[in-house]
Amino acid sequence: MRKSRWSLAFRLTLWYTAASLLLLLAATGTLYWALVANLERSSSLFLADKVHVVTTLLLERPNDWDGLREEIELESAARRYDQFYIRLLDENSKTLLETSRMSALLPAERFTGLPGRVGRAESTSGALYLATEVSAPVGGRKTNWKIQIAVSLAEQQEVLRRYRRWVWAILLVSTIVCPLVGYQIARRGIRPVQYVAETAKRIGSSTLSERIQADGYPVELADLALTFNAMLDRLEESFERLTRFSADLAHELRTPVNNIRGEMEVALARDRTVEEYREVLHSNLEEAVRLSELIGSLLFLARTENPGTHIKREITAVGELLHAIAEYYEAAAEQAGVTLAVMAEADLSVNADRSLLQRAIGNLVSNALGHTASGGRVELSASAAQSGLEICVRDNGCGIPAESIPRLFDRFYRVDAARSQSGGFGLGLSIVRGIMLLHGGSVQVFSEEGKGTRVVLGMTRM
Amino acid sequence: MKILVVEDEEKTARFLQKGLREAGYVTDVARDGDEAIHLAGEIAFDLLVLDVMLPKADGWQVVSTLRRDAIETPILLLTAKDAVSDRVKGFDLGADDYLVKPFAFSELLARVRSLLKRAPVRQQEVLRVADLEMDLARHKAMRGGQRIDLTAKEFVLLALLARRAGEVLSRTMIAEAVWDMNFDSDTNVVDVNVRRLRGKVDDPYAHKLIKTVRGVGYVLDAEE
Repeated sequence: MRKSRWSLAFRLTLWYTAASLLLLLAATGTLYWALVANLERSSSLFLADKVHVVTTLLLERPNDWDGLREEIELESAARRYDQFYIRLLDENSKTLLETSRMSALLPAERFTGLPGRVGRAESTSGALYLATEVSAPVGGRKTNWKIQIAVSLAEQQEVLRRYRRWVWAILLVSTIVCPLVGYQIARRGIRPVQYVAETAKRIGSSTLSERIQADGYPVELADLALTFNAMLDRLEESFERLTRFSADLAHELRTPVNNIRGEMEVALARDRTVEEYREVLHSNLEEAVRLSELIGSLLFLARTENPGTHIKREITAVGELLHAIAEYYEAAAEQAGVTLAVMAEADLSVNADRSLLQRAIGNLVSNALGHTASGGRVELSASAAQSGLEICVRDNGCGIPAESIPRLFDRFYRVDAARSQSGGFGLGLSIVRGIMLLHGGSVQVFSEEGKGTRVVLGMTRM
Repeated sequence: MKILVVEDEEKTARFLQKGLREAGYVTDVARDGDEAIHLAGEIAFDLLVLDVMLPKADGWQVVSTLRRDAIETPILLLTAKDAVSDRVKGFDLGADDYLVKPFAFSELLARVRSLLKRAPVRQQEVLRVADLEMDLARHKAMRGGQRIDLTAKEFVLLALLARRAGEVLSRTMIAEAVWDMNFDSDTNVVDVNVRRLRGKVDDPYAHKLIKTVRGVGYVLDAEE
């Protein structure tokens, strides 16, 4: 549990440090190994070189003792570093020539076990040498002499020792510096995230328009910021809708409540006849009924928006339903001088809540009748469509301005406020949409001003 | 007939009691659930009008307690929530009917009447109100001996008003009973139809039978 609470910066630092140290360790290790191999190779080559020189001298100029002495005694004595020693032994292992001090440091028996190969030998003082013993033919005599050569490894070991000291020093410094640098990098890397978090913290209902500046962010974080901003857009829109809804609701309530209150106050201001009181009561009752209807519609809408709402689905014949609705509106249509026609394909049915569907279509017919002048026509139709089934209410009335169409389904939205004052609350289409949502269906409005409107309900076919 | 109104909101309780008394029922009021359970156990009421939101024991508890104690008084629930689950819960517990607030008093009265005479009323073949006579079997309506020519829906509408003569019917109730339209928007469609019916039933006669009750609905009444 605790592990999951480690900060991101801490975790990044940890990983960064571990990775850096591991890499450093691998690099220095490899370099050390290469160095050892190289040094050893150069010592071996030196040794082979010397063996070659002495062997050649013995073979070609066996009596050139000056030359041998120079090679064996003088040249090596002149060296300060990479000290080497050469000894020449005859066939009876008697020392003929040797570099000075060699018998004290590396007596002949220290070379036992080395004939013909290159190996390590330890001097009497404890220093390490790379040594070999070679048997070489002597020119002019039918015998082999032995050459013993040793080259000091002290310098080499000193180099390696220094190298190791440096490596440890570098590793030590890295162990201290890596976490510090790593932490700085991690901090810098997650700074945009912190900024996003701070912005998010700052945003409240009154600062919903604030956005995260995503410019200059790395791709991943810009994505995060954009996603976040998109969420804020949606939130802001719903919030605005909600605010508008509250304001509209207050406005809708104001008128009837004001009427009730005013009429009552005026009525009670002095004595009145029974008729006058009755008039006031009737008027108030009408307002109260209007308020009840508003509450009923709002509750209904709230119910359609609750995803847990159950609907009572039954197999409903669409043609029959449309005819029943047309029959209900027949008298009203006739009075308005509008022809009401039903054109339904036979044998279409849906699995739907009959009374809800009736209400949705009823609302559309009522709207169509209200916006179609005398002599016009309202048509109810149902047809099979690719996606299932379409129920369509079409009129050739006044139409809806294009800019109003996106807002049609908003609660309390009226295309023409003054015109609809006497009518409903502007909730009709919201209710239609709510009902279609409950059924998993869709609703679309097509309209052309002056030509008419067509509303299409899309549903799944049975 | 004795009715117990269980309602904690004072104004609501007062108008319910007043309205029911004036409709001819002896009406008592209980202010909370415990009192309701106590009273219903003591006195044999013919009907309970029960608010769901109550102090002490709520409406659901009252219904389940009474049914558990084998008190089978019909219960009309008044709920503030128009949720299907509430309805189902009410019926499951043993309530007989429900009304959602805000409701029309005429609606309440209609439900009370139908609960109190649960036994099916004998279907009359011929309805008579003043000089209006309707032969339901033969689909004939007469006034003062003269035949009135009605469409099928107009006949159903007039029969509804005549069968419940003297009772105010709301537009919603009429739309539901005649056209099977159970939604309460656009009820001016009912007005248009009633107006047409009047044109045939009342306009030619001096004595008007169909009356508008403002803000409530329509009533067919023999009184002048």
